Amino acid sequence: MIHFKINKFNKQQAVFGILFMMPWFIGFIIFGLYPMIMSIYYSLCRYDVLRIPQFIGFGNYEKLIFEDPYFWISISNTLVYTVLRVPLCIIGSLLLAVLVNNAVRGVKFFRTIYFIPSIVTGVVLSVVWLWMFNPQFGLINSFLAYMGIPGPLWLLDPNWSKPSMVLMSVWSIGGGRMLVFLAALQGVPKHLFEAVDIDGGGWWAKFKNITIPMLSPVIFLWSVLEIIFSLQVFVEAYIMTQGGPLNSTMFYNLYLYNKAFNDFEMGYASALAWLLLVISLIITVIQFRLSKRWVHYDGVTK
Amino acid sequence: MKTQTNRKIIKSTFIYLLLSIFALFFIIPFLWILSTSLKGDAQIFTIPPQWIPETFHWDNYSKVFDRIPFLLYVKNSVFVSAIIITGTVLSSSIVAYSFACLNWPGRNFLFIIVLASMMLPIQVIMIPVFVFFKEIGWLNSFKPLTLPSFLGGSAFSIFLLRQFFLSIPRDLLDSARIDGCSEFRIYWNIVLPNAKPALATVAILTFMFSWNDFLGPLIYLSDQAKGTIALGLGMFVGQYVTEWSLLMAASMLMMLPMLLIFFVFQKYFIQGFIMSGLKD
Amino acid sequence: MKQIIKIVLSLAVLIAMGLFLFMPDSKPPNDGKIRLKYWMVSAMKEQPFHVTEFNRTHENIIVEPTPLPWNEHEKKILTSILSENPPDLVFLVTPVAKWATRLALTPLDDLIKRDSFDSTIFFSALWSEMRFKDNIYALPLYSNSYAFFFNKKLFREAGLDPENPPKTWDDVLEYSSWLIKKDEKGNFKQMGFIPTYGNVQTSIIMAWELGAQILSIDGAKVNLTNQPTIEAFNWTVNFYSQFNIKDVSTFIAGFGFAEQHGFISEKIAMMVLDNSFPDQIKLYNKNLDYGVAEIPTFKGYAPVSSTGSWWLAIPRGAKNKEAAWEFMKFAVQKNIQLTEAERQKALLFPSNKLTANNPAFLSLNESNKIFVDLLEHSKTPTVVPLVHDVFWREYMGAQERVVHKIQSPFDALKQAEKTIQIHLDETIEYDNYVRSQVSIK
Repeated sequence: MIHFKINKFNKQQAVFGILFMMPWFIGFIIFGLYPMIMSIYYSLCRYDVLRIPQFIGFGNYEKLIFEDPYFWISISNTLVYTVLRVPLCIIGSLLLAVLVNNAVRGVKFFRTIYFIPSIVTGVVLSVVWLWMFNPQFGLINSFLAYMGIPGPLWLLDPNWSKPSMVLMSVWSIGGGRMLVFLAALQGVPKHLFEAVDIDGGGWWAKFKNITIPMLSPVIFLWSVLEIIFSLQVFVEAYIMTQGGPLNSTMFYNLYLYNKAFNDFEMGYASALAWLLLVISLIITVIQFRLSKRWVHYDGVTK
Repeated sequence: MKTQTNRKIIKSTFIYLLLSIFALFFIIPFLWILSTSLKGDAQIFTIPPQWIPETFHWDNYSKVFDRIPFLLYVKNSVFVSAIIITGTVLSSSIVAYSFACLNWPGRNFLFIIVLASMMLPIQVIMIPVFVFFKEIGWLNSFKPLTLPSFLGGSAFSIFLLRQFFLSIPRDLLDSARIDGCSEFRIYWNIVLPNAKPALATVAILTFMFSWNDFLGPLIYLSDQAKGTIALGLGMFVGQYVTEWSLLMAASMLMMLPMLLIFFVFQKYFIQGFIMSGLKD
Repeated sequence: MKQIIKIVLSLAVLIAMGLFLFMPDSKPPNDGKIRLKYWMVSAMKEQPFHVTEFNRTHENIIVEPTPLPWNEHEKKILTSILSENPPDLVFLVTPVAKWATRLALTPLDDLIKRDSFDSTIFFSALWSEMRFKDNIYALPLYSNSYAFFFNKKLFREAGLDPENPPKTWDDVLEYSSWLIKKDEKGNFKQMGFIPTYGNVQTSIIMAWELGAQILSIDGAKVNLTNQPTIEAFNWTVNFYSQFNIKDVSTFIAGFGFAEQHGFISEKIAMMVLDNSFPDQIKLYNKNLDYGVAEIPTFKGYAPVSSTGSWWLAIPRGAKNKEAAWEFMKFAVQKNIQLTEAERQKALLFPSNKLTANNPAFLSLNESNKIFVDLLEHSKTPTVVPLVHDVFWREYMGAQERVVHKIQSPFDALKQAEKTIQIHLDETIEYDNYVRSQVSIK
């Protein structure tokens, strides 16, 4: 039973709380719940969008888990990618935001340049990196050759293909991510930093004792989001490698896409989607549990 | 005092050094796009890479305007993005306020649902939603792209703003309540003004997403007159041949407004906090 | 004052947005003419001749072509059929069966019968593609053909007779060993032949040559572990056994399109290429001294080529079936296809046999005769129509594993065969279910 303190305060909050979140709720019913229910249903069927679904119970799930090598290959590829990429990106963006929060002359100009990763997206980004990674005429190997180091085959080598994509996403530590951390930094009261100064602390002391705790809600936010997004990696693999070489970049979402729109197996793809959701949810819930230990909220108590 | 000034100079030089290194890191791909957009197709994949085109093909840009109705697409993209930004900022902020600053039964559970809604890949949501829009007759229009943003914006914006709003001190809100402020007043007059950087961030990120969105326009817009520039870009990728220089030129044209928006919205981010030792 | 300006401005912006969203579409002029929406792919810079000529010669029908982005046009066609408001005509290259089995296309049999349409004008490989179960669903509009290209200058440099291209695959193997050049660091500068580079896989052509029967007659069983296919893979493995696969991959990575194409940039001496290449070579490397010959064979076998079919069809639910059919018939006519080939630099061949065998067409390019002859002995890449994408993904995957020496040809093909069969079974079961439901209704 949920106990209410019967006083005007809480009743007002409860009423307005529910009222204010209504827009999202309505939207969720239409664009979230309804598609979710439909896709659960489709995941229990054979379905190709243009014809009626055929109910087959858990057939899709059985096939996926027990008979489909691509399911396991794509999960492991996606997890490896996520584990490599998320810590690098978050730490990188955070440090970048700290750097860019200094009021030196021309910082506005630098910030705009640092925003470039967010505007180069999708097809164009993948094309640019395809070129950069090219073993023969790409920028990276040309640069390495100039220094006398023979570069690897990058995207064409099954052992290097995932690290290449991780490297590519590290490039995106600028842009929106940096922006979010920057906005959060702006909200930190100056006197806290000045206090460290008075105590004789340097950059690192400020970072460790003020920045990280004060920004922990936002860092937590990005950890959760980055993991969710990383698990759904798609465009890069679709444009650059199509899952190769030797299935080393066959990511989960790419496999799902192939199933949904090339093979027209929408039922199977829906089953894939739901398994991904379950995995993402489990990981997120674990993160939330762990967050109680390190995330520090100044405002409302959770 | 001299040592203090020296330390400041060393510190600022160091900062400039770092800033420049990263600037180089970020700008190189952008420069390659710019340089490719001015090349003839032959020179794009040469060994070693050529940065300065032999001849400057400024006509690549005019060719883009010939091949697709670029200005029309820009107008469409601008309108669509503007509507989406308005809807998202307004509705996701009020929803975030509810999740962050108000206490009501079921709040935490529903928040997990908000998160969970981000975990379902778009490929499977796409078809049921499409069928829904077909049933209400909104196909081949901009409505499916824009109006949903008024229903809470996106889970991402809600999550982001909630985290920001959580760091607004509780006492501020409570004292306003004791003074008799309605929740809406608190939201509008206290929380929103204090969250300008966060709102600006949401606006910018939403703009990025809608400007680049390809899938939505692809399935919801059928007439040629209703294209967006993201769709227009796809026209340069063919079955066997991709027209790289035109693709890059069109990309440049697409990216420059985004840079502009960012530069303009920067005023909501204060200049950054001053280095130690100086007074404001 | 400032408040008022702000309010007025906000109002103006709101009204503009509202108008943008809710303004009704402009209706086409009510002149009694039928307007056909034709969704094609954005390859061409100008409208195809068959469209402009049709519009010119038909008073009451106007064809309005809309280009679609290449990578995504299938998704768009899919959703448009789902919306029950599809275009009148679509242009596609994936197997007809894929769409026909999903009831996405309108059968044409009644119209063919009514107009006594003569389908013998098409190459047989193309026409057989248009049929699914008992109906015809599309008309082939374009095709292409592959032949064997070789660089005469590089032959001379290697001491080979430029007028004597290899006739068997063993010859190819031998010739290519003479045509290898490496630089000081040991990287490839030139190679003779690369079976896995290009738009068509040499291995499938070999398998066809040797008579591989990959799909059973009833279309229900896949057999990749047949002797011909294994032999084709063995040949490929044998070819690669003399090289380090990493070196070859690096070499291939340096290729691109146009001037950077492996053959056009004279880095590969022999290659199986399609009929668009004579024009491409003229454009990008006109001094290339090359020859075109029949595709090599194994001793005692007849040459086989590959051909794709680009086809026109009427989506299910389209409203102007008769008018669309008029357009389709028009576009595949002998004369129309001939004029289009003469005037427009298309990369594709006509689908009409009469056009292709016409002296005027053959004279457009000296190698056209070889291409057209090979078209008679061609197969389409639609080996397993119902699970076309799965088939090719598994086939290419198997070939990749074999080339990287991870699996033997038999094991790789067996693995691919298993996956394809699973998906084929699923598709057929689903198909049967849908048919049973529909007939019950």
